[in-house]
Amino acid sequence: MQADRRRLNGPTSGTAPPVFATPPNWKVQRPTRSRKPDEHRKIFLRTGIVPSASGSAYYEIPPQTPSQQDELLIPQSSSLKVTCTVHGPRPLPRNAAFSPNLLLTTHVKFAPFATRNRRGYVRDASERDLGVHLETALRGVIIGERWPKSGCEVVITVLEGEEDAWWGDAGNEQDGGKAGGWALVDAGIDCVDMVSGGVAAVVQQGSADEKMDRDVVLIDPTPSEHYGIKAACVVGYLQSRDEVTEMWMKGDAGTDTEALVEGAVRAASLARTVLAEAIKEAVELRSDESHDNAHANGSAKAEKTKQKDVVMTG
Amino acid sequence: MANGAAALPGLAFPKETFAKLTPAPFLQAHLQQAQSIRPNGRALEESRDPVINTGSLSHCNGSAVARLGDTAIVCGVRAELLLASSVASPPNEDTTEDEAIEELGLLVPNCELSTGCSPDHLPGSPPGSLAQSLSYRISSLLYSSRLIQPSDLYVEYVLPRTGDDIPDQGPATVIKAYWTLYIDILCIALDGNAFDAAWTAVIAALKNCKLPKAWWDQDREMVLCSPVAKDAHGLSLRSVPVPTTFALFSTLSPLKQRSIAEYWLLADPDNFEEGLCTEIITLTLSKKRGGGMIGKTALAQILDLSKERTTRWRAALKLG
Repeated sequence: MQADRRRLNGPTSGTAPPVFATPPNWKVQRPTRSRKPDEHRKIFLRTGIVPSASGSAYYEIPPQTPSQQDELLIPQSSSLKVTCTVHGPRPLPRNAAFSPNLLLTTHVKFAPFATRNRRGYVRDASERDLGVHLETALRGVIIGERWPKSGCEVVITVLEGEEDAWWGDAGNEQDGGKAGGWALVDAGIDCVDMVSGGVAAVVQQGSADEKMDRDVVLIDPTPSEHYGIKAACVVGYLQSRDEVTEMWMKGDAGTDTEALVEGAVRAASLARTVLAEAIKEAVELRSDESHDNAHANGSAKAEKTKQKDVVMTG
Repeated sequence: MANGAAALPGLAFPKETFAKLTPAPFLQAHLQQAQSIRPNGRALEESRDPVINTGSLSHCNGSAVARLGDTAIVCGVRAELLLASSVASPPNEDTTEDEAIEELGLLVPNCELSTGCSPDHLPGSPPGSLAQSLSYRISSLLYSSRLIQPSDLYVEYVLPRTGDDIPDQGPATVIKAYWTLYIDILCIALDGNAFDAAWTAVIAALKNCKLPKAWWDQDREMVLCSPVAKDAHGLSLRSVPVPTTFALFSTLSPLKQRSIAEYWLLADPDNFEEGLCTEIITLTLSKKRGGGMIGKTALAQILDLSKERTTRWRAALKLG
């Protein structure tokens, strides 16, 4: 592969990630799911982290079980940390063709340190794939006709991804990373509703030694906590219109398909409550600020603001 | 006016509109006040205090988030192993240890701005000149400040004793592998002065960095690491340079005489100021330690001398 000349590259002979030896008398503990099948993990969501963007959010699912990080260097469980920014709507460049609708562009990128194996800086196929899914999910919610000749960029950076496989188990895709992605339109673009994402999975219940024959539908699965995930489903869901803008299923759910979709929709509704709360908070904050400003202008600070506001006569 | 109205109400713009329409006069109007206050409410030489969080990313050996006002930068340090046997041209005996780690390229900083951190740096294109220059500046500062103790990056192996060893000599050690530190710097939010924030994040992440204990396993012919955190060692940073960035705003224009132009030096510029200032200077200071004979007075002398020399050079080159 040709070296990327615009970035600093590592040693030409290549480096290898460290190989760890298992310490003597150490039993490796696999994380287990402690919450109920229909219980979502706690979500932390904050909007307005990037002031220069028209909308931005930070989404985090902290690890549920206290990790043994103090003793081991290898993380037993990881959290999910995602930032999202929305730039636009803004006019398309002059040379662009006419578009009667808002042109939506989405980028999903994992940070090089987001996963256990170091990732490159150039977007790979899975990141492009995630971007396309995100785009379809958001396209259904934006009222594009109101913004002709404009473009809008949605950029998602995954700072820390879910563990997609646990110590080399056969893995399932990074669907967890997506749930965060959807939850993110606070840019003041005309939307029909708030879109929220949800994930559900069919997993085989039972320990490794037992025969696994019981399939259970779980919402918000953590791949590292389960031995066999048969199928997973991601939806983008509009609750108030009861509409699914995007559905993405992987694996073979068999007869459980409907239950799986139902589960994902339920997860999306749960995520929506958090989203609504965060947006409400942000709006309250904004209205408080403008109220404060108006108040300050009228009182003692008027002198100072007068100095700054320059009167132009036409 | 058509209906003879006495006076039209003045068109008073709010601050934001004025700043957007004519940014340079807006900044100048602020600075020209008796007590210069910048539009962001800071005094001229007032800089923003950094806020640092470390160790929040679980997949990194060391990580940090540095905030400078609205600029937020995440840095993750990841260590990988470079086998000494795979190095094509190993550093020869004459190079010092510090030069050797530069030659091997054991520190790999990369700065990524296209994370949607500002509307000027949108993803989908290769890194721009700012991102590239940031990466190179950080890389050169890392090497030139000799921040990292080279021996921290070695994985050594003590050769077993054989019969034909000279008995009085200690056991011989060879370097079997080097730790390569991938320092990935992601800008989450950009509001000016990216270099200071990025460097702060890098330092904090390197301080937070823990390298696992590694040893050469002769039987398997590979390097193994211990996953136990107690065995891991940190990096000892030798002298930590601290950068300070200033931007120069001037009213200099080709239409005016040079002598009537006014200048203001703004510490820690934000995005708005950076866009208007023509020159930006970053000074990096670290505690001077040992060895050198050059003190403050000597340094001033050197500066004077080099100034003098510059004029002579310019005369020789007929630059006027």
